[in-house]
Amino acid sequence: MKKLFLLFFSLIVFMLTTSKSFAYLDPGTGSIILQAILGFIAASIATLTIYWNKFKNFFTKIFGKKDKKNK
Amino acid sequence: MIFDKGSFRDQAGKIFYLNNKVYRIITNEGSERLKFLEENQIIEKSIKDNYLIKSKVVSNNIINESLSKNEIVYEHEKIPYISYPYEWSFSQLKAAALHHLEFHLYLLDIGANLIDASAYNIQFIGNKPIFIDLLSLKKYEEGEYWIGHKQFCENFLNPLILQSKKGVYFNNWFKGNLEGIKTEDLNNILSFKDKLSYNIFIQVYLLNKFDQSSKKSTKKFKSDFKKKFSKKSFYALLRQIKNFIKSLKPKKNKTIWEDYSQNNTYDQNEEIKKIECVSEFISKNKFQILCDLGCNNGLYSTLALEKGTKKVVGFDYDINAIEEAYNMSKRKNYNFLPLYLDASNPSTRIGWNESERKSFKDRAKFDCVLALAFEHHLSLAKNIPLEEVLEWIISIAPKGLIEFVPKNDQTVQKMLEIKGDIFHDYTEENFEKYIRKNAKIITKKNITKSGRKIYEYER
Repeated sequence: MKKLFLLFFSLIVFMLTTSKSFAYLDPGTGSIILQAILGFIAASIATLTIYWNKFKNFFTKIFGKKDKKNK
Repeated sequence: MIFDKGSFRDQAGKIFYLNNKVYRIITNEGSERLKFLEENQIIEKSIKDNYLIKSKVVSNNIINESLSKNEIVYEHEKIPYISYPYEWSFSQLKAAALHHLEFHLYLLDIGANLIDASAYNIQFIGNKPIFIDLLSLKKYEEGEYWIGHKQFCENFLNPLILQSKKGVYFNNWFKGNLEGIKTEDLNNILSFKDKLSYNIFIQVYLLNKFDQSSKKSTKKFKSDFKKKFSKKSFYALLRQIKNFIKSLKPKKNKTIWEDYSQNNTYDQNEEIKKIECVSEFISKNKFQILCDLGCNNGLYSTLALEKGTKKVVGFDYDINAIEEAYNMSKRKNYNFLPLYLDASNPSTRIGWNESERKSFKDRAKFDCVLALAFEHHLSLAKNIPLEEVLEWIISIAPKGLIEFVPKNDQTVQKMLEIKGDIFHDYTEENFEKYIRKNAKIITKKNITKSGRKIYEYER
């Protein structure tokens, strides 16, 4: 487990650049690393959720129509 | 012109008070930040959609100090009573957190962003949360990270998780630590089972892990990444936390006073008498802002509102009662803000130079105070001399009602059952004498068989 974190961390440090940004608040290194890794995952989950809901709606509509017909 | 001692962290502007109004000077640096917001009507839109406090640019002439060309003065709507996150119940902090996230998502939609995520930037007007810091808004730059993420976790998310998962009230901890609850501390408290939740695993366990590894690392951390944070990811992160917070519920411990309104020692006629007494007093006065000490679930606060008082701020040391009162205020849309206050240990000044956040006394500027079935909780339960208790209550407002609970009352008898009666000073005569030291007694009404009395005073 520790190795996995080390790997993640090294990866992120490797990605660092010297370009400047300004903020009056210290964002915290851990928070930036977390966002860099998980932002992508969160976005992917969000996209998948949209497709999943579309998929669910598609079937709900079909079954919904059948139900009405049955009535 | 008095500058607010809490608005110094951001160099872009300062809050000041003049003639009972609230203003903000925007410095040259802040004007630069606001330019984009003004050009795109972001401030107007945010105010119109009830996210941001009402604010308008006013003439620079209102202040004597000469301002440079780019400096602007804004006037903000005055918040009736400034409250702090450690005075809120779970649902209030949750409502503030959701307001913050919803506002952030709204801003991203219109091309703006927030530079921080401080819970002190949210205030309540009645039961409604509102964002008060205009200078937290800026233009959204493609690829930027959520700078306030860590602050959001400490100010909002961690206290909510603590109470929701462990049943530990966050208030006193938050009060002792200006910035809320550290992720490291929360991580140490949560169990393995708690961390199996996807959001807790990420926002507490992983965040702490990354923080700790970065502290140990000797490599210099640079403030930006080549790899940008996509807007899609930004949205997803905010929405994920928002949905998680929506799902959180407080783990409640049963407290003594939460059922007080159902299980008190009054019989029905006595309660009617008390209600009549309060109604009569409120109706003959036109109060702007009333303080209800020991408000419990808000019975007398709402009565005061119904009888013509404009705003009520209630205080109680029973946090579950505050939770119930807030939910009721929200449901019925009352201009009633209930807050947690232990009167024997009220909020003090905290933060830099002991003046960043104000004390209860600094903020307690009310037209009227109701202290019904309240004084004995200080004088008998906490051994605070009756004379000091009355002086303290009367100092809060020029007019008010104070209930005297005699020793033969059932509640007091129960309080003294184990402790024994060591309070020789606690008599009706002394009660009246101590009121007279600070104010005039206008009326005195007997409301129960046991001899409870309500005194109307004016100072």
